[in-house]
Amino acid sequence: MTANKSDRVTRETAATRHVGFTVNGQYHEFRVGSGGIEISPTHTLSWTLREVLGLMGTKVSCDSGACGSCTVIMDGKAVLSCKVLTIECDGKTITTIEGLRDPKTGALDPIQQSFIDHTAFQCGYCTPGMIMTAKAFLNENPQPTEEEIKDALSGNFCRCISHYQVIRAVMSVVEKEGEHGR
Amino acid sequence: MKQFEHHDALSIEEAVALLSDYEGKAKIIAGGTDLLGALRDEVFLEYPEALINIKTIDGLDYIRSDEKGLAIGAMAGLADIVKSPVVKKEYQMLAEAAYSVATPQIRNMATIGGNLAQDVRCWFYRYPRRIGGPMVCLRKGGKFCSALAGDNRYHSIFGAAALSDISLDLGKVRKGCFAVGPSDIAVALIAMDASIVTTKRSLPAELFFKATALSSTVLDSDELVKEIEIPKLPMGAVQRYDKFTLRKPIDFAVVSVASMLTLNNGVCEDARIVLGAVAPEPVRARKAEQVMKGRIVDEDVALEAAEHALAGSSPLRMNEYKVEIAKVLVKHAIWG
Ligand SMILES: Cc1cc2nc3c(=O)[nH]c(=O)nc-3n(C[C@@H](O)[C@@H](O)[C@H](O)COP(=O)(O)OP(=O)(O)OC[C@H]3O[C@@H](n4cnc5c(N)ncnc54)[C@H](O)[C@@H]3O)c2cc1C
Ligand code: FES
Ligand code: FES
Repeated sequence: MTANKSDRVTRETAATRHVGFTVNGQYHEFRVGSGGIEISPTHTLSWTLREVLGLMGTKVSCDSGACGSCTVIMDGKAVLSCKVLTIECDGKTITTIEGLRDPKTGALDPIQQSFIDHTAFQCGYCTPGMIMTAKAFLNENPQPTEEEIKDALSGNFCRCISHYQVIRAVMSVVEKEGEHGR
Repeated sequence: MKQFEHHDALSIEEAVALLSDYEGKAKIIAGGTDLLGALRDEVFLEYPEALINIKTIDGLDYIRSDEKGLAIGAMAGLADIVKSPVVKKEYQMLAEAAYSVATPQIRNMATIGGNLAQDVRCWFYRYPRRIGGPMVCLRKGGKFCSALAGDNRYHSIFGAAALSDISLDLGKVRKGCFAVGPSDIAVALIAMDASIVTTKRSLPAELFFKATALSSTVLDSDELVKEIEIPKLPMGAVQRYDKFTLRKPIDFAVVSVASMLTLNNGVCEDARIVLGAVAPEPVRARKAEQVMKGRIVDEDVALEAAEHALAGSSPLRMNEYKVEIAKVLVKHAIWG
């Protein structure tokens, strides 16, 4: 027996749909709807992170998938939160710039510290996206070449031309890790 | 974004059923990298009532190879295609085309099915509604293509796509849409003689892309791409994908060329040369292919083929340069 439209639609909408996901180690569950704290099907993840969860570290610049400033890590991969629907995040694990700090000691992530040490920003608007992209990349490839870093960060644009310092900051993390490994 | 309903499909059958329930007023969402931009900017003639999410369908993201060739599920991610050892080794043109798409983050999200079904990128069509209202081009119910009067540096050099799909001599149609086919993967698939399997049919990639001023593919509103099949490439085939852009990451092609040459002791046995971003659909350069067959490939043959590939082009006011770029790319594809 094939379900008709009303059955299909009922299954999803009327039976109060929920979306639950983990952000920086904290689980959040929302009802789908159009009320104040509900998730509308049209909400993007960047909107939910900023406007609902108050995590303002994730920046929205182009809102068109073209600049990388809204990058977060979802299930280990760098993705653009302005091109993700929150309603499609059920079961996902998300890390934003606020979640990089060591939860116990409060110490910054080595990439964050290196950005500070190398002054790898001016206005700082692109910086969270740069750091999250670099973080996901180094998790996958801890000992990359400079070319590989440039390639990994090729989707992150900076209006203030911090790119040179950014590459140096990331390279320096890689070099330090290499020394520890030895 | 304006409101829409949202459904997670759990099977292909359910997705198709939902699409037909909405009678053409629902859209599939795969990676969302193309669709969400179009929704945000409200560029569609009709805003969809619902999105049908197909990321919730299991097992559609495979990349499988056997002695017949390669089979790729519609939900395979572009990043996974780029990384796939078998694609890198035997189908490197596909790896190159996939790698040339957008940025690392977008390739992490984008699917191959979505790449083939993506909407055109013409800047008049895509102009955001909230910034001073929509540009009412031919695709949005206007009387003519805005590229005819406006800045058309990135538009077609091979004529327009007619409003409906009545076949007309493309070179002469003025009343049509001059937006070019945006997909990089499309160009490579045609050069590799791939087939596209949908929920209704299986057809050569070349026939899948069929541009009108309303759509770029033959897909019906309740039809899904399921799989892409690439036959094993002939022994000795030389594959190549070249894409000319202004900035390497992010930009769509100004012109691209995918080529597969089968050589035997320097003699061309077979050639497939496909040009992207020069016309509403990818263009197979059949005459160029023919003049090469049976001849020893050298620089003169390459130059001759390049002339043939662009014969019959009819550039607009601002895009004659694309003809020259395309010739250079074709020449490079044949003779380094
Ligand atoms: C900044 C930027 C740069 C880009 N650069 C490039 C580029 O250089 N080259 C290029 O080729 N593309 C480029 N793109 C377009 C990019 O979005 C696509 O390449 C991507 O592959 C689309 O896949 P998706 O899964 O995200 O599709 P979606 O956005 O989910 O879908 C796109 C369209 O296809 C339909 N669709 C999706 N899957 C299916 C299916 N299985 N069957 C039928 N219909 C389906 C959807 O309904 C929708 O209309 C760029 C996009 C952005 C935002
Ligand atoms: S804000 Fe998401 S890519 Fe620019
Ligand atoms: S530091 Fe200003 S945009 Fe990058």
